[in-house]
This record gives sequence, structure tokens and C-alpha cells, in this order.
Amino acid sequence: MELSEYVQRGCQMLADPGCFDLGAFALLLRAAFRSLLEARADEAALDHPDLKHIDPMVLKHSHAALATCILEAGKQKADKSTLSTCLEDCKFDRERIELFCTEYQKNKISLEILLGSIGRCPLLITDVSWRLQYQIKTNQLHKLYRPSYLVTLNVEKEDSVSHPDISFNCTMEQLQDLVGKLKDAAKSLERATQI
Amino acid sequence: MLLELSEEHREHLSFLPKVDYAVVAEFGRIALEFLRKGSNPKVYEGAARKLNVSSNTVQHGVEGLTYLLTESSKLMISELDFQDSVLVLGFSEDLNKLLLQLYLDHRKEIRTILSELAPVFPSYHNLEWRLDVQLASRCLRQQIKPAMTLKLHLSQDGEHSNQVLQTDPATLLHLIQQLEQALGEMKTNHCRRIVRNIK
Repeated sequence: MELSEYVQRGCQMLADPGCFDLGAFALLLRAAFRSLLEARADEAALDHPDLKHIDPMVLKHSHAALATCILEAGKQKADKSTLSTCLEDCKFDRERIELFCTEYQKNKISLEILLGSIGRCPLLITDVSWRLQYQIKTNQLHKLYRPSYLVTLNVEKEDSVSHPDISFNCTMEQLQDLVGKLKDAAKSLERATQI
Repeated sequence: MLLELSEEHREHLSFLPKVDYAVVAEFGRIALEFLRKGSNPKVYEGAARKLNVSSNTVQHGVEGLTYLLTESSKLMISELDFQDSVLVLGFSEDLNKLLLQLYLDHRKEIRTILSELAPVFPSYHNLEWRLDVQLASRCLRQQIKPAMTLKLHLSQDGEHSNQVLQTDPATLLHLIQQLEQALGEMKTNHCRRIVRNIK
């Protein structure tokens, strides 16, 4: 895990008991996780009374350093020993390393989901609806007498933004073709997981 | 079910017995050509010169024949009903036979052409798929995230379009399950009863 000089300096301030006692450190650590993982994080986290005595510049710098550290660890899927080595380099003591690792472990999965959801991908199918109708006649053509399906795919863009549905008609044969191809896809997926 | 032929329509068709059967057959060919590709007034003028009649007369003759064929195909009337319907025109037996043959030979094609006129959504054309596993991204390393990329081809008014979509394994299985239910629905007693009774 590589951290920039700025982040390292921020972490070193966090490691300094003269700057942050253990209580303030724990408070800031939790605030950093919350601000990354909760959509509506408490923006006033740094205004906590127990942090009042710390210079706002130092507080901001340390908070940014913590957040970067957490994201970098999440991105690399750092294990405990990697994390410990890195924090030791920033002069963290045992207690602070332990606290960081515990908090990290607790939020690891949410952190991975968050990081995994960033980036571009094609439209995602989330669900399908269908309607079966029996066509009888149109103004141009009588005695049609054939089943017809209307299939609607619900789709969304990355980060769960909704997108207009995709609707199309198909005959019974076309729907059988579609299902056949999806089944082929599912079969090869199943085979791939058995390797 | 018999065809109802208006006075005007009968008048337009009354030109047919005045020409050779070969000309009627040619009119039939032109009528079908126009159904396939749209009308072309130049053809009327050429034919009118050869037959020594006004191009309007030819146009009415061809249009009358077109209407006769599309209306019968639209209603899908039986052979017998077609014969009875054209009987009122007072044509010779041979001409009636020729018209019947035109109708029977081209009914299927005309119905296909007519079916294209109905308002429709885009329709399914094809599906291609690709199985991917996402291994890493800028924001997250060491991933194993299977994804099915689908390319859905649709067609509308003869034009093809396609859309690239993606889905995860669980959703893929859900899609298959839902669409199989949709197919199965046609075999239920409810649907079979409706299909049997609507004739």
C-alpha cells in the first residue's frame, strides 16, 4: 500500500498522542468511515465537542488522510498484516492499529460494494415483465388468430439510475428462441462456475 | 362471408371483361407489384397506349383488382365465398376462375403485406450473448464478478437496431424462469379455451 507524502503526514499527526488522544482518534476514525459509506453522512462530524480542542486545519488534514487510507486499503483488498505494516510506518501504536483494523474489518464488505459500483458498464437488466395477447384482427387484416407476447425489460444505468424500459413484441417462436438462447447462456455460466 | 362491392368498385372492374384474359393476368401482376413496392403511374400510361384506352381506365381497372384482392385477403374469405362474391359482377366463368386463381395464389403474400401495416412495437430479431468475469477496476482490485453481456437485436419497420445490456447470474435465471412461465401460459386451459372458441 503506497500513500502520498501528504497522506502520510496526516496519518503521523493521528499517531501523535499529543495531537489526538485515543478517544479523539476513535471518534475521527468512525466519522471517516461514516462519511465514505453513508449516503447521508453527518456533515457536522468534525464539530463534535470532543474534537473542539484540535486545530481545524489539523483535523481536516487528518480526516482526509484517514479517508484516503481507508479507500486505498479497500481498493487493494489489503489484509491485516499489510494494513498493520503501513500504519506502523506512519508511527501508529498497537492500540490505534488494532482500532483501525477492527473498524476496517467491520466495514470491509460495504466498502467493497461501494468501490465495485464505481465505473461504467452497459445498461443492467434488473427485471422482466411480459404480457400475452391473442391477436384477432386489425383494420387491415382479419382472422389473425395468433398469440403475441409483449416483453418489457426493466433496465438501469450504473449507480442504480433508472432508464426507460425496453419493450418489444415477439411471437411464440421468437420467445422460444429468446429463452433458448438465454438458457444456453445460463448453461455456460454454470459450466464456468464448476471449473 | 361475402364481399360487399360498391357501385363504384363494380364500375371499375367492369373494364376487365373487355380485354383479353392475358391482359387481366397482367393487371393482376401489376396490382401485386404495386402492393409490394407502391404504385407507379408510368405503368398505367404504357398499358393505356397499348390497349388504346385512357390511362384512367387502366388505373381504375388495376385499382379495382387490387381492392378485390386485398379485401378478400383481409377477410380471408373461403374459395366458395370468393366465387359467390364475384358472381354478382356478371363475368364469364373463365374470368371468374382466373380471379379466383389470382386470389388463392397470392392470398398469403398479401396478408403478410397487410400485417406490416398494423401498429407494432419493435419486434424481437435475435440475441447474442457473451460471458465475462470482471477481474479488476480502477477503484477495486481482485474482483471475481461474473456478468452476462447481451446484445439484443430488434427490428421495426424493416430497420434493425440493437442494444447492449448486461445482467448478473441471478437475474439471468430469473429472466429465464419468468419467460418460461410466459410460454407455459399459452398451454393453460384458459388460453386454450379462448383460442378454441375464437374462430
